[in-house]
Amino acid sequence: MLAEYQVFGPVHDDGVTLFRQIKDPSELDLQFSNSSMPPKALLLRQTETLFKFRLGRTVKIDRVNLPDDRTVIFGIRPCDARSLTILDQVFKGEYEDPYYLAKRKNTVLVGLSCTRPEVNCFCTSLNDGPASAENMDVLFTDIGEKYYVEVKSDKGKHLIAGMKGLLTSAKEENEKKKKEVERKAVASITRSMNIEGLVNTLDNMFENPFWQTIAMKCLGCGVCTYLCPTCHCFDIQDETTVTKGARVCVWDSCMYPEYTSQASGYNPRPGRMNRVRNRVYHKFNYFPKNLDVTACVGCGRCIDNCPVNVDIVDVVTRAQEVKV
Amino acid sequence: MVNIDKLRKTVRETVAREDIKYVVGYEKGTYGFQVSPCFAFTPEDADKFIFSPLCVNNLVVYPMLEEKLPLPKGEKEDTRKIGIIVKGCDSKAAVQIIQERGMKREHVVLIGVPCTGVIDPRKIRAKFPHQMKNVEVKEEEKFVFTIDGTTHKVPKEELMFDKCKHCENPTPVLYDVLVGDEIESTKKEDYETVKAFEKKPLREKWDHWRKQFDRCIRCYACRNVCPMCYCKKCMVDQLSPQWVRRSVNLSENTVWNIMRAYHLAGRCIGCGECERACPMGIPLTDLNKKIQRDVKEMFNYSPGLNVQEKALLVAFNPQDPEEFIL
Repeated sequence: MLAEYQVFGPVHDDGVTLFRQIKDPSELDLQFSNSSMPPKALLLRQTETLFKFRLGRTVKIDRVNLPDDRTVIFGIRPCDARSLTILDQVFKGEYEDPYYLAKRKNTVLVGLSCTRPEVNCFCTSLNDGPASAENMDVLFTDIGEKYYVEVKSDKGKHLIAGMKGLLTSAKEENEKKKKEVERKAVASITRSMNIEGLVNTLDNMFENPFWQTIAMKCLGCGVCTYLCPTCHCFDIQDETTVTKGARVCVWDSCMYPEYTSQASGYNPRPGRMNRVRNRVYHKFNYFPKNLDVTACVGCGRCIDNCPVNVDIVDVVTRAQEVKV
Repeated sequence: MVNIDKLRKTVRETVAREDIKYVVGYEKGTYGFQVSPCFAFTPEDADKFIFSPLCVNNLVVYPMLEEKLPLPKGEKEDTRKIGIIVKGCDSKAAVQIIQERGMKREHVVLIGVPCTGVIDPRKIRAKFPHQMKNVEVKEEEKFVFTIDGTTHKVPKEELMFDKCKHCENPTPVLYDVLVGDEIESTKKEDYETVKAFEKKPLREKWDHWRKQFDRCIRCYACRNVCPMCYCKKCMVDQLSPQWVRRSVNLSENTVWNIMRAYHLAGRCIGCGECERACPMGIPLTDLNKKIQRDVKEMFNYSPGLNVQEKALLVAFNPQDPEEFIL
């Protein structure tokens, strides 16, 4: 795989696990629960140069070539693979984002099932599972002495064709074993979020003081949005020196007041309450209404990393209980 | 060990006062070893308050996060006081902000709790992973807690925050009420980690920090969790002129991290919240500590100890060292 593709995989470095390009399989940390940063960052990069320019009497534009390296994201978890399917809907459609789509087209997702989900995992509440191959090209599941391999797409077939020597046809008992591993993993997920009727519930509680109580302890940092595999908001800026510059696309966060700050000085989301509420609505109300899917995959990163325990499962559970 | 009944009684009495808007303290979190900040607006709310070695947050950040939004016509600003549960380090943040006139002394009611050290969430999660059910930790000779019927007694040194191992202020330096008895200070900050790091070759030091800053994602959790970061408009948020670019790369990240550390020179009281909040595990307290030590050696000043004292960088003293002036 390393000869044919550039391979990104989970690498443990100084306390955090990140998806990094690897040159040797020994760099991989396959005991990881999930990466600190979601692998979305490999496709929707935090900083993306759109084009460069030179300033003079006239402005000269230098295009940036879209990357065409064939890439494998090895060890991606089912929740993160699902997030890419969701992000595809954002960047496809009427206005295409070639920077994301070019990378996406050349990327093969070689997933790894979760055999030991973390405490804040709740993918099973969002029509996904810790060993789901649905959004993968290839999925590996550790079934003890072997890996059970599921090939789900042409990209996956092509990749697997180069590894024939390593694989043997799966037997019924192997499939059984995979199901068993999956069942155990599902059973070990203890957190759950009830999204039934949530769109409607949220429709009726926009002005509810509940949001004020939720936002009270929020610090307004960008941890939840930057570590979220489905958050995708960005800002576009021109960064220049005297003679040259670049137009860059950088991640932005709806948790920052500047995000909605308008040139006039007016801010339609002036308080943290407005911003916290928007984050919940974007994921659980606007997204399902517009694209028919909830923009949360249950990876639990926002819960794990929030410095003040703003817990999305708790927020949604309590929102469902609010009497309107 | 803080008596919870006594703590709740104090909170109840405080929040019942007419001049109090709310009291901010700690409650059980939603999972594992998590504790959450919580707010009492009524005396009944006090019943959920707790204090244990898991209560890491520096709650002094909350009065600084108060928003001054435009009020509907006829409505007056609520200028009532805020009650805050403070540990030793947290109280130092309050002292420092008052010293800098970032907040008025009479605007807060400080409910002090003596503390001999809190637990580093990263350490306890690493030692006891996959803990979903909420766990309560008690403080005896060791940290004591029960998981699935098994009682664990872990030596404090093993789980304690590194900053707590050198804490000189187990009793809050400023408080209106103290829940419990004063604790004599027995530990001393020796800056051993700073000294050891200083001895390394320049190249090695620079490589270390380059690696750390390279993975910063600029989520600004370090800034927002810090009680001392209360500028109305942070320099990195300014657009005109734009001092720091939005591009997330080593160069801009370095500017941000060094700027943050220097803006806390003579101000950082060492609560370690920045490092705790950092999702990328950048050891920010090392930077803060280095500057803290320099300030102490050069100016004989430690922030957050005395409200009457003048903040370091607003006062001039002819004896100030000035080797850097050529």
